[in-house]
Formats: sequence, C-alpha cells, structure tokens
Amino acid sequence: MKILLAEDTKDLNRVISVALSHDGYEVDQAYDGEEALDFIRKNGYDTIILDIMMPKKNGLEVLRELRSANIVTPVLMLTAKAEIDDRVEGLDAGADDYLTKPFAMKELFARVRAMTRRKTEYADKQLQFADFTLNNEKFELKSENSVRLSVKEFELMQTLIINSGHEVDTNYLLQHVWSGTPEAGPDTVWLYISYLKGKLNAITSKATIRGERNGSFRLEAL
Amino acid sequence: MEQESIYGEYRETLNNAMEYIMNAINATREDIKETKGLDPIEHCLARIKSEESMREKCRRKGLPETTESALEKIHDAIGIRVVCTFVSDVYAIKDLLVHLPDCEIVKEKDYIRHAKPNGYRSYHLILKYKQKIYAEIQLRTISMDTWAALEHQLKYKQNIGGNLKLIEEELKRCADELASTDISMQTIRDMIYEERSETA
Repeated sequence: MKILLAEDTKDLNRVISVALSHDGYEVDQAYDGEEALDFIRKNGYDTIILDIMMPKKNGLEVLRELRSANIVTPVLMLTAKAEIDDRVEGLDAGADDYLTKPFAMKELFARVRAMTRRKTEYADKQLQFADFTLNNEKFELKSENSVRLSVKEFELMQTLIINSGHEVDTNYLLQHVWSGTPEAGPDTVWLYISYLKGKLNAITSKATIRGERNGSFRLEAL
Repeated sequence: MEQESIYGEYRETLNNAMEYIMNAINATREDIKETKGLDPIEHCLARIKSEESMREKCRRKGLPETTESALEKIHDAIGIRVVCTFVSDVYAIKDLLVHLPDCEIVKEKDYIRHAKPNGYRSYHLILKYKQKIYAEIQLRTISMDTWAALEHQLKYKQNIGGNLKLIEEELKRCADELASTDISMQTIRDMIYEERSETA
C-alpha cells in the first residue's frame, strides 16, 4: 500500500511517516501543496493524506486539482479544530474523510485502514444466487455454461442479487444502475432485464427474473 | 489404372441424400422468409468428404479403406453446416431436420445449451437417410461459426509458443462474449417483433 503524506510541519510529517512505514505502508513525503501535486502526477497512491494549511498551495487547492484531473484516490484531510468550514469545503470538494488536529496516531491508522479497504474488502469477488454465480472480476455469469456480461448488465444483475430478498421497481433500477445516464428510461430497464433473462437461460440456470415491463422485478429460483 | 472410389457404387446415392436434406432445409428457409420476413440462414455448406480425406480418416481410425467403412463406420461422408442468423433460427431448422421423413436421428448433441469446456457451441445431428446413408449436420449462429473458424486456425499455431493456459482461457472468454452478444441480438429482435405485432 502506497501513501502520499503532505504535511508542512516537519516534525509531524516525520512522526506520521515513520509510524506508517513501521506499519508496512510505503510513504512519500511532501512538505507543500506543489510538491504534493508533483508526486501525485508521477505516482499512483492508495491513499493521500493532505494537511489543509500548507504553503504554495493549500490542501483544498491540491484536492480540487487532483479531482478535476479525474484522480479518484481516497483523500484524508487533516484540519485544525476551528476549521469547520474547511472540513465542509473539503468533503464537498471530494475528500473522503477528515481528521482534526491534534489526533491520536491510533485513529489516523484506523481511518487509513478504513479508506484503503473500501475498494478491496467490501466487494465480494463473487455473488451467488440459486444455481448461478456472478463474478465481478471477469463480469462472468456462470451456471453450467458461462457468458460475459456488459457493464450495465453486470450492474443490473448485481443489484438484483443484492436485493433478491424483495422486489425492486423500475425507478429504483434507473436511479441505481443508470444514475449517470439521464437518457435511460423504463424501456432501457426492460431491455436489460430481457437480456439477463435470456442469458440466465443460456447458461442453463433455473433462475429467472419475475416482473412486468415498467413494474417491479425480483430474482426467482425455480 | 485409376483407383476405385471408396464410395463404390454409392456416390450417386450420397449425392441424392445430400440433395434431399438440402432441399428440405431450403424449403423451410423460404417458408420462414415468407412468413416472418427474415432469412433464418446466413449461409449453408454441404459437401461429400473427398476420397483422400475419407481414406485418411479410415487409416486414422484403423479401419480398412472400404465402402463399408466409409458409409457405415464413419458417419460424416455427408457433411452439412447450416449457419443461422439468430439462436432461435438454429432451433427452428433443427426442429425441421429431426422430423424429416425418411430420416432417423442417430445422434443429437446440443452444444449450445451445454457448451464444450473450451467454449465451443453448435448443435450437432447425425441423420440416417433411408436406413443407409449417414449425414452429419452442424447448426450454429454466425457468431458461433466465427469463433469456431478462428479458434480452428489458432489451434494449429500453438506450437509457436505462448502461454497455452492463458490462450485457452482467453479463447473461452471470447466464446462467452460472443454467446452473450447472440442472446442480446436475439432479445433485440424479439422486442422489435413483439412491438411490431402489438402495433399491427
């Protein structure tokens, strides 16, 4: 795990990086906002820790620049107690979490762990329903046979499996699976439900999706 | 002196059997075109195995190079490949063939519902015409045919190296992606026709 630490107070920077390195993280140290951006442009990180008050460019400016460059690395902001507006502004600008100075090293560690595990640990590699599996590494739908799904088919199937305990309606699916696609409508949902029904049949699964066009849907094991 | 044909006096019978099956396929094709307005077949190939390949196959299988071997032990003297447009067309043509008069089904394998581990998909039929002449028929979609043709070419290149396991996995992935696309195209077609018949 690689972490970038941007903190202009030399002593604090040293203490944190020694502690993180000791815990097995690989740490790059930056002492101002511009140096932090140089590091970010050159390397990939699993987490970035940004102090807000820094010379040359402050933490919020660094954060905005990296988010506008489509860098989605989790960011932890370090703020002083009085800076409530900064914290709000930081979270709104795309920070994932913040920590108020002074803090206990134990808490910093816990927050770094929480941010780095989000990507890997929360998502199961494979979801199962009845006699088929959905593999999210390969986008593979598998029973006796297997097929590969497109991104939206995969997301729709994932949503249906996660919600297999109850029905989900067309609107819910539009908001959760097609949130970034305003042109998608009930016809889109129905077409993709139909794709998945056909593909469940093609992999020789006995499961199917119950529900009518424009209505609510639910996976059903036969 | 010219070597006698391995098919002996049955060359003509083979031709007739092949023509009989092809005529039946073509009649159904025209029928479906007429009623649904869609051609269920992209293309259709039929051949009688060449003298040379048949003799080679006999040798490979340790059979004497006789007419009996060629017609009774080996079942693909007649080979027909029907490449269909959509998955449902494969089953439509298959349904015709299994009910064909004067033909009995000797073997039927659905490698579409039960794909081979390498990803191969096709519907295989062996028919026996008038209790004498065998014909092997493969039915598949354009996508399945594409995969089989390309995979066949690559299989013979394996000795040039590369990570064999990775190549096999990737070819399987391609088969699964094509199969997925086949279902999507079928779904789109069904939707178009459903809506057309609703508005009609």
